[in-house]
Formats: sequence, C-alpha cells, structure tokens
Amino acid sequence: MRPLDEKETTAVFEKLFKFTGPNLKHIVERPATEGPDEAPGRYCFRLHKNRVYYASESIIRRATNISRDRLVSIGTCIGKYTNSGVFRLTIQSLDLLAAHARHKVWLKPTAELSFLYGNAVLKGGLARITDNTHAGDGVVVYSMADVPLGFGVAARSTQDCRKADANAIVVNHQADVGEYLRNEEEL
Amino acid sequence: MGKKKKVILPPQLPPDIPDEEIEVSEEDLDFVNKNIEYAGFLSKLDTNLINRHVTRVADYKEDELEALYEKKKKKASLKKSKEEEGLQVDRVDALPIKTLDGELCYRTVEESNIAHKENGSASEVKDTDSDKGLVKLTKAQRRQKLKKSKKEAKRQAKEEVKETVAEGLHSDVLAKVEEELSAQDLFARKKIKLAEVGMALLEDPESNIKSLKELLHICIDEDHNIIKLGLMSLLAVFKDIIPGYRIRLPTEKELEMKVSKDVQKTRFYESTLLNSYKAYLLKLMAFEKDPSFHCIAVRCMCILLDAVPHFNFRENLVAAVVRNISSSDDVVRKLCCETIRSVFTNEGKHGGQVTFEAVRLIAELAKAHDCQLHPDSIEVFLSLVFDEDLGKSEPKEEKKEKLSKKKKRKQRLEQSNQLLVSEGKRRKHELMTKTRESADLKSVSFAPDSDELRRTQSEILSAVFGTYFRILKHCMNTSFQRPMMNDISSSIGLGHHPLLGPCLMGLGKFSHLIDLDFMGDLMHCLKKLAGHSDSDNGNPSVSLTVSEKLQCCIVAFRVMRNNLDALNVDLQEFYVQLYNLLLEYRPFRDRGDVLAEALKTMLWEGKQHDMQRAAAFVKRLATFALSFGSSEGMAALVTLKYLLLRNSKCRNLLENDPGGGSLSGLVVKYNADATDPHLSGALASVLWELSLLSKHYNPSISGMASSISSMASMNPLQTQAYLSTVSPLKAFEDLTIERELLKAVNRKSSFNKKGKRGSEFVIIDADKVRSLETEMDEDVIERKFEEHFIVLRDIEENEKLRLELNKTSSALRLYEEYKQQRKLKQKRKQKKQNGG
Repeated sequence: MRPLDEKETTAVFEKLFKFTGPNLKHIVERPATEGPDEAPGRYCFRLHKNRVYYASESIIRRATNISRDRLVSIGTCIGKYTNSGVFRLTIQSLDLLAAHARHKVWLKPTAELSFLYGNAVLKGGLARITDNTHAGDGVVVYSMADVPLGFGVAARSTQDCRKADANAIVVNHQADVGEYLRNEEEL
Repeated sequence: MGKKKKVILPPQLPPDIPDEEIEVSEEDLDFVNKNIEYAGFLSKLDTNLINRHVTRVADYKEDELEALYEKKKKKASLKKSKEEEGLQVDRVDALPIKTLDGELCYRTVEESNIAHKENGSASEVKDTDSDKGLVKLTKAQRRQKLKKSKKEAKRQAKEEVKETVAEGLHSDVLAKVEEELSAQDLFARKKIKLAEVGMALLEDPESNIKSLKELLHICIDEDHNIIKLGLMSLLAVFKDIIPGYRIRLPTEKELEMKVSKDVQKTRFYESTLLNSYKAYLLKLMAFEKDPSFHCIAVRCMCILLDAVPHFNFRENLVAAVVRNISSSDDVVRKLCCETIRSVFTNEGKHGGQVTFEAVRLIAELAKAHDCQLHPDSIEVFLSLVFDEDLGKSEPKEEKKEKLSKKKKRKQRLEQSNQLLVSEGKRRKHELMTKTRESADLKSVSFAPDSDELRRTQSEILSAVFGTYFRILKHCMNTSFQRPMMNDISSSIGLGHHPLLGPCLMGLGKFSHLIDLDFMGDLMHCLKKLAGHSDSDNGNPSVSLTVSEKLQCCIVAFRVMRNNLDALNVDLQEFYVQLYNLLLEYRPFRDRGDVLAEALKTMLWEGKQHDMQRAAAFVKRLATFALSFGSSEGMAALVTLKYLLLRNSKCRNLLENDPGGGSLSGLVVKYNADATDPHLSGALASVLWELSLLSKHYNPSISGMASSISSMASMNPLQTQAYLSTVSPLKAFEDLTIERELLKAVNRKSSFNKKGKRGSEFVIIDADKVRSLETEMDEDVIERKFEEHFIVLRDIEENEKLRLELNKTSSALRLYEEYKQQRKLKQKRKQKKQNGG
C-alpha cells in the first residue's frame, strides 16, 4: 500500500473530474467520518495491488499494521489499474460519484433492466437528462426513484439528444450495479 | 363702381349744357339743393374747357346729337339704377366721396360681404348636398362624416355670428374694426376654406382631386394653428379617399398607349393623389424635426399608418414611426407603440409585409442604440401573432422548405454567435427585393400565398429573436464589464438593462417557436444572466437585480416546459441559482411576486426532484419563511408543503431526530451556507422552523405550519389526495391583499371602536376581509378620494405658486442689485469726471 505518485494522481483525478467537475474539491477536502479516532482527518487515496482505495486517514494509519500481502482491502475501492496500465473506475465508486455528480441521466423503468445487464442507454429509455451535458462527459445513471444504477460516458450532448431517434445511444456503459452479481469474483 | 362713375361723369356733362339744361334741371336742382356742399364744384367748373368739349360735340348734326344724348341719358339712368342696387347693402358709407383709400375700403367691404353671403349660402347648400350624397356611403363613414359636417357647420355658424356682430357694430367704424379683426378674420376664413375644400374633396374626390394641392398650399403658413389644422384636415381627407389598393404609376410605355377617357381620368386621379400624398408625407417628415410640430406630425403619421398600411410609401411611414418609438415624450411613445401594435395585430390589412418591416426596423434601432431604449419599444413584440399551423399545412412543400430552413438555421446561429454576419444580411436583402418584385404580381390575387406568408413569418421570427439575443448578449457583456465601468452604465437613467424585462417576457411567450438548435445558446445566455459562474470566472455578474435573475430562471423553465415533447431536461444549474437567490432576497428591494412565480414555476410545477435537492429546498424555504413577511412566507410554506407531499422520503426532516440516518448520504452534517443543494446535507437536519412558525402572528401561516408538521404521521400512500390546489403565486397574492386590507381595517377600527379590538381580528381570513371591503360604502370612498385629490392638487398648486414667487423675487433682487451697481458705477464716473 502506498500513496499515488504524480502520474497516478493525475490519472485518477482526471477520471473523477469527468464525473464531478469542480465538485472534485469536495471529494478531496471533505472531513472523514470513518474510523475510531476523535478527529478522523481527511480522506485520501491509496494504491494497493493495482487498486485505488479511498479511505480516511485514521483507517489508513491502522492499516499500516497489516502486512502488504495479507491486506485485502481498505476503505472504498474506487478503481483499478488494468494490465496495460490504464486506470478504470469500478462500480464501487458509484456512491462517491453519485453524491457529487454534475451530469445525471434518469432511466425509464422499462430501460433499467437493459442497463443493468451492461447495455448502453438508448434515447428511447431516457426519461430525463441534466441540461448542458456534452458528449464525453461522465454521467451517473439513476432510476426514476433516484437510486443510482451505474455510470457511463455521454455519447451525445443534451442538444443532440433532442433530435436523435429512439434507438440512438445516449450513454455508453461503463459500470452498473449488476456487476456485483455478474463479476463477483473480479471485484 | 364708384370710381368709375366719377371718371365717366365729366364727359357726360358737356352735352347737357348746350341743350339749355331743360331736361335735367329738375333732378339736378333737387340733387344740388340737397347736397349743396358736394355740388359746390359745379360753380368752379372750367367753362372754357367745357366749351371746348361742347364745340367738339356741336360739330355733330342736331339729330345725331340728340340721338347721342338720348343714348347717354339712358346709359346714365341705367347705371344709376344699377348703382342703387349695389348700394342697397349699406347706404351709409356708400358715398364715394372720400379719398381714394376710403373708396377702396368701401369696395372691399361690400365685396367681402357679398362674398361672405355667397360663401355662407354655398357652404350651407354644400352641407345639405353632402348630407344627401352621404346616404350612399357605409354607415361608419356616414357617421364620421356627419360628425365632421356638424363640426364644420358649428364652426361656420360661429364665424357667421361673429360676422353679423361685426356688421351690427360697424357703420362708419367698420373699416377700423375690420382692420383689427383682420387677423382673426383671416384665421377664420382660412379655417372655413380648409373645411370647404375638405368637404368638397370628401364629397367627390374624383372631380375635386386637384384641390389637394390647394390644401397642401394652405399648410404653408406663418400661423401655427393653421398649419396644424391643415395637417389634420389633410389627414382626414387622405384617410378617407385613399383606395384599398396600392397605386402603381403607369410606365412610360403604358403612357404612350392610347387609352379611353375613363382610364385617363383614373390615371390622372391616381397620380395626383399619389403626388400630393407624397408631398404631404414629405411635409410631415419635415415637420417631425420641428419641435413645435413634432407631436402633431407623429400623430398624423401614426394614424395614417394605422389606417392605410397597404398604401404606397408605407416604408417611410413605418420608418418614421419606429424612429419615434423610443421617444422620451410619453405621449409620442405611447402613440407609436399603439400604432405598431395595431399593425402587428391587424396583419390582414397589409399581408404581413409591414410587420416584417417594422420588426426589422426596431431590431436595427435596438442595434444602433446599443440596447439602450425604452422598454416599450421592445414590448410591442409581445403583440405579434404567429400562425403555428402554417408550417404543417402543406406537406408537399416541406422538402423545399427543409433546405431553406437549414439555411435559415445556419443563418440564425450565425446571428446569435456573432450578431449579424454580412452573408446573412445579403441573403435577407435578396429575399426582400425578391418579395417586393413578386408583390406586384401577387397583389393581383388577393388571397395571401401561404408560401409567402410562411417566408415572411420566419423572417419576422428571426428578426425578433435576433433582437432578443442581442439584448441578452448586451446584458451579459455589460454585466461582465461592469466592475470596470461602474459610473458609465449607472449614468443612464433607465437602469442598466432597460430592455431585459420585455425581452424575457417575449422569450417566455414565443419560446415554443424557438429552433431547437437555438435553444442551447439561449439556455447558456440565461444561465449566465441568472448568475451562474463558470469555474474560471470567480466574479459572477453582479449587476442584475435578484428579481431579474429570478425572471431569467423562470423564462428558462418556461422555454423548457414548452419544448417538453422534445426531451425532459433537468435544469440543475437553475435550481442552484434559485437556491442561492433565496438567500439574497430582500422583501422591499425585490419583487415578491416574481419570487413567488419562480417558486411556482420551478418547484411547484416541476414534476420530479431528487431527494437531496428537495430536502435542501425544504430546509431553505423553512428558513426563508421564518425571516420574511407573511406573504413571502406563505408562498414558501405552500411550496414546502408540496415538496414534502411529493417526496415522502423527505418527511423524515419532520422527525425530531438529527442525523438523517442512512438517507443523509455522504454529507453528514447540515451545512446551511452551502451553495449547492446537493452538498448542503439538508437531510441530516430537522425542520425546527415549523414549530416557531406555528406561533406566527398571522393565523393563516400558523395554521399552515402546524398542518405541515402534522404530516409526519401521515401515511406515505395518501400523498396524492392531499395535494393542495393553491399555487405559491396565488397564496402570495392572497396574503398581500389581506395584509393591505388588514392594515386599513385595523386603522379604521382603531378610530371607531377602540375597546373592542382583539379577538375579532385573529380569525380574520381573506374572504372575510374581501367581503368587508365590498360592504364599505362606495360613496364614502368616493368622497374620501375626492378630498384626497383636492388636497393633493392644492399642495401641487401651492408649490407651483411658491416656485413662481421665488423666481420673481429673485429676479427683483437681481434687478435691484443691478441698479445699485449701476448707480455705483455712475457715481464713480461722475467722480472721475469731477476729478478730471
């Protein structure tokens, strides 16, 4: 377990910034609530076995007591480095993203299932979309009851969505809560 | 006549003398005896000279002479009788004895009298004539004309009375009086002339068309009143005789061709009409620049544009009217606005061309004045009428339209991006000329071509939205520049963005017509104006007031809702703005109704809100209700209740348990200062404000608050049944009325029954107060108002008088000072002289 170096930090923050925009500040600076200490301090990012974890300082301090090969996980895992060295956000980061997301998409109840199987969001399944979304922005996908379902990348801007036909892809799939079942062993 | 007689008299005499004056003597003697003073000249006659005449005459033969004499005598007697007839009018000053001047005066008097008589009778005849002729006209015209003729008759009667009075007075003083009266008389005569010519024109414009020039000529006068009257009567004439079509003057080729008499006549009529109309318009334009005639010239042009928007030279009329649309003179501006509005609403009269022209001109005006105009000038756009079915009616032409639409879209985007690009301008110009060319052909068939209509309509729309965008952009630019140039923008009297209000209203009204491509830009502008700051721009716009920002938010929501069929878009940024604006609201600085409307459109009518946001708004609204007046508070509470009903999960705010449990999300502690509703952590808080509000002095608020706090125990499934129907805006208005009335009633009751106050007004509600109001005696109110106005007027007059007094006294003081100084100077001079 080690803190991220310069390059890794940039990569992680870039990914997060896509979803949260200026709210990234809140992710980094928010006071921690986890841990037994009186003042748990802030949250920080740690790299462990190619995975990036988001945990409070007090937990991290205690985790140092555990040897590297025995440590399975600390705090919340938010993403991992693939074998080719690319950083990916995983589904566990959904809570964090949903709380700070700038762009959101709400799905019609009929389209939820399709998305949870790992398919992209089509225009026909789109119930609502945040204004001013641009193509390439990270969006968090919600059900109509405001339950976060996953996240992805907007394939077209809000303006283009208006004119797109019902079968056009609006959000490209990145992760959804269905993965907890489908890819249980990988997480 | 008198003069002639004198001249002729001497040669008449000579033949009398040689005939021994037998024949004439009796009469002559009588005459001489009667007028001995006047006849004195007979004795002084030069007999020699007469003799010479006589000898010359005597050369004739007796018979001839006699015949000659007979003839002459006959002539003389005839002349005399004629003279007598002429003199019958007034014998007193008929004597042509005085100097040549006197005679002249007498003659004019007589003639003018006769002329007047004739005029009077003629005009009377004409009046009756016209009345007869009018029967054939339409009712409205007839009524109008009758009115007019009555007026004329009245005026004439007045003049005649004056005349008769003058005649009664005169006798020998008449000449002097005439001279004194001549100015007035001239005025009256000119007026009568105007009336006559005008009536004649109205009676039979075909034959009397030439007198238009006469009328125009009258308008060149030193007397301002005459000019004004002339302009007005010309206006009335033109309004009546201008035909319902556009006149096209014949080309040279056509002129060469042989035509029938009728055609010739019509051509002449039309060309004369057109020429004089042109001259009249030119005159009006010239007078428009003259401050003393400005008002009347503008009025004339407005009426003309209103009455005959189809006729030639309408472009000039529209241009002139639009030029004055932002005038600082209230009357002129109102007039122009009304005219433009009626042009917009009565498109059938001119087929939309004038509308486009006016819109284009206004757009140019706004551009030229850098958006610093009176709000009225943009507000006229609100009365534009667009036919929405026009695009759908003909599917076969859709394809063609699509291409041009794309072009137009591009054009519009260009416009919005960098105002007017020259290409767009050129295209528009081409289009304009094309339409003008084809207009002549099309005018033959009166049914408006839908293709054409559609084209004009889209042109109008693009011009209107171009203007709106220019205003928005302008507001944005100035608001960002503002920190640097504080003083300049504040020096303009109308506020920083005078046009923003009507512009936003227009956008709200026509939002369903906005192109979807256009909408992104519009939203962007509105967002900027509403105060949204990008991450790089730390200093957001400060120049817009809270009300204006709220209006921006409202318009954005309207636009979105009108285009809901396209896509349901969540306007998160605007919610954030509203969330922050709630804190900036101040009850007497900002407009409460705008706030209530914003609450209504954004929160009350909005269908979906996510939980975090709803909770944040609930918390903030409760705080807001606690700190402001009852009407604002009521609006906030109504919204709050609605939000709680819609979002059952938010109801745990009502429970007396801070922390929010699992729902509180990532933000565990309530942060009251947060700028983003999502990060405020409102779910972790408790709505303690409600318990305070339930002790509010206003019964309706306290009732509302307690009803809300009782919702905690409500079954979450019951929500729909309890949805209230009162909107925040309505609640706000109700309570505002109530508050005003409560004040009045309280004051009144304190006068009437001091002891009884107390329990009675606790349970008062809006209906009761309203009924109280109706019960009040109207007479009493009227009397009170009267007294009030009298007092106000007295105060005003008093002020005026005081001002005058001050002025005069200061002038007097100045004069005294001047005198003293002068004295001093003189003294010095004298001293100097003495010394010298």
